Amino acid sequence: MERISVSSSNIASIGYDPDSLTLEIEFNNGSIYQYFDVSQRIYEDLINSDSVGGFLASNIKGSYRFSKV
Amino acid sequence: MSSKETYLGDVQDVDGTSVSITLSKKSMTGFVYIDGQGYRVGQIGSFVRIPIGFTSLFGIVSQVGASAIPSNLSELTIAGDRWMKIQLIGEGQRDGVFERGLSQYPTIGDQVHLVSEKELKNIYGQPDRPYFVKVGHISNADSIPALIDVNKLITRHSAVVGTTGSGKSTTVASLINALSDKDKYPSSRIIMLDLHGEYGSALKTRANIYKINPDTSSKLKEKGLYIPFWALNFDELCEISFGKFDNEKDRNIVLERVQKYKVESLKKYPRKGADPDALSVDSPIPFSLHDLWYELYTETYGTYYKGAGKPSDCIAYETDSTGVELKGDAQKGIAPIFKNVKNEAGDPEKINYLPSQLNLGKQLQLLGTKLRIPRYDFIFKPSEWSAKKDGEVSRDLDGLLKDWIGSDKPVTILDLSGVPGDILQTTIGALLRILYEALFWARNLSQGGRYRPLLIVMEEAHIYLNDEFKGMASKVVQRIVKEGRKYGIGAMIVSQRPSEINPTILSQCGTFFALRLSNSIDRGHISSALSDNLDGLTNMLPILKTGEAIILGEAVKLPMRTVISAPPRNARPDSQDPIVYDEVAADASQNPGGWGIAMEVDPNYQEISETWRSQNPKIDRLKN
Repeated sequence: MERISVSSSNIASIGYDPDSLTLEIEFNNGSIYQYFDVSQRIYEDLINSDSVGGFLASNIKGSYRFSKV
Repeated sequence: MSSKETYLGDVQDVDGTSVSITLSKKSMTGFVYIDGQGYRVGQIGSFVRIPIGFTSLFGIVSQVGASAIPSNLSELTIAGDRWMKIQLIGEGQRDGVFERGLSQYPTIGDQVHLVSEKELKNIYGQPDRPYFVKVGHISNADSIPALIDVNKLITRHSAVVGTTGSGKSTTVASLINALSDKDKYPSSRIIMLDLHGEYGSALKTRANIYKINPDTSSKLKEKGLYIPFWALNFDELCEISFGKFDNEKDRNIVLERVQKYKVESLKKYPRKGADPDALSVDSPIPFSLHDLWYELYTETYGTYYKGAGKPSDCIAYETDSTGVELKGDAQKGIAPIFKNVKNEAGDPEKINYLPSQLNLGKQLQLLGTKLRIPRYDFIFKPSEWSAKKDGEVSRDLDGLLKDWIGSDKPVTILDLSGVPGDILQTTIGALLRILYEALFWARNLSQGGRYRPLLIVMEEAHIYLNDEFKGMASKVVQRIVKEGRKYGIGAMIVSQRPSEINPTILSQCGTFFALRLSNSIDRGHISSALSDNLDGLTNMLPILKTGEAIILGEAVKLPMRTVISAPPRNARPDSQDPIVYDEVAADASQNPGGWGIAMEVDPNYQEISETWRSQNPKIDRLKN
């Protein structure tokens, strides 16, 4: 999956696959996780938010299940 | 140098290498200044010097205070005298060259001096020699590098021991980092058995990583780890595939059959060095275990139509509803199904068991299961090393060895985190034996171990070098530590539980990196394996700081308490501890889970069963 680099204290890059509703997050430490069943709107909100780390913590972590890639 | 300021006291009692001294009234302040630097007197583990003529004896302080008084003197001693006990370890010539061992002893009345940092530097060695590698610096003396003699470290074997969290993995990573320095050692050769997949990220620039079920998309560029079954010797092969045989006869039948397959393979594809007439069953010759299994299975369970010709040409396969014979599939491990024996009066069709039936049912069922289960694929379907029926392989043993010990990168990490627990010991044993055997026979070649020695780092060694089971790994490692030196194979045993490691193996380790060890049984094992009489030092083991080690043995001139310099932050091993509650605030945390984050509304436990059933931690849902 293609990921876009973002500037954040904890996130390195973000990718999204609209067909399978999969959000991919690469943290700065190099670990990559995929969040499942994330709607396109949430993804757009995430990528456009002022603080991606903050948005991830408040709206995605704890709401969607994930797996380490 | 003025000897007055370093003067500590006088020798009062000499008992072997242990010397008791009384401290002088002047040094009683407990603090001495030399060249503007302060030294505390009587620190356990610090060094003292006893000048005798042109040479100086050096010792380590092991005991201070009332109990250091020699026992027969304790009643006579005037209160107020302070005592110190030291262990002699070596002597230094006036030119500063330090040597282990003593040629003479001190006598009563000899002066004892504190060792200043300047003198210590002389003792600890010359950083400019390329065969010394720096792993950190001496505790309490930041300017003195801790140097390790690479020659002795590798050929005389070593052990890194320490409680969980004492900095073991970091020490190993730091050592490997230092040893794999391309500028200094352009052809260093290190292989690591990484049981938990910790080192991949730490050594990514210097290492090739081989892993079962590799993640080819990851940044680490993992490659598949394969241990072709045909490279194992017969005992290893049986242990991994057939299991135990009921009697010697059954074992011999399989042995002969394996031999036959190997001979035929060799006749078709001659391989240099192997002669079909003098082939041993243990020779690493490719053959098809799948076809062997199919053949033996047919001979064990097979039935045939009587009277139609040779039994082997008239096998009575069961048919499915459409009339297709259920012949099974050797490559997939699917067994054929045979018709039941039939011998009824009036029915012209007679079905009998094949003559000279084998009694290997249990073993063949077991192997059949293993041929089907994906987690055994790294042995039984080793990708390019898989053999066709006639023994043809696309890559041979040389490819395997080149990948492991002859690649362009100095370090090879064999990530064994995917090996099933029941065959872990045997797998490691087989793997090490392949390496040992290869380097043993190649001892005259430039590619061999004598001219390009190999260091094998064995992580979590207590799991497979346990004394309790007489496992294959333990046997091979015993051979490596006893004889490996001659063929250029060095072992580095890493464990948090030295008391569970076979004592023969531990006693052959010439150099110890002892990190914090709190368990007294473990400590006892380390103290008893040490060649030096250094109780004082080993008593320090429980109070070492994280990342601090006592290095003793052949690779160092003197036992030294060392602060190991940690590799850069991005090159540290993941200790893989799950984080229960992240110390970092939620919006900056690089950790998606933990007890501090709410659970998703409807957790999907089907995916858990999916991973278990497929024996693969990656679910299908993951996108590439």
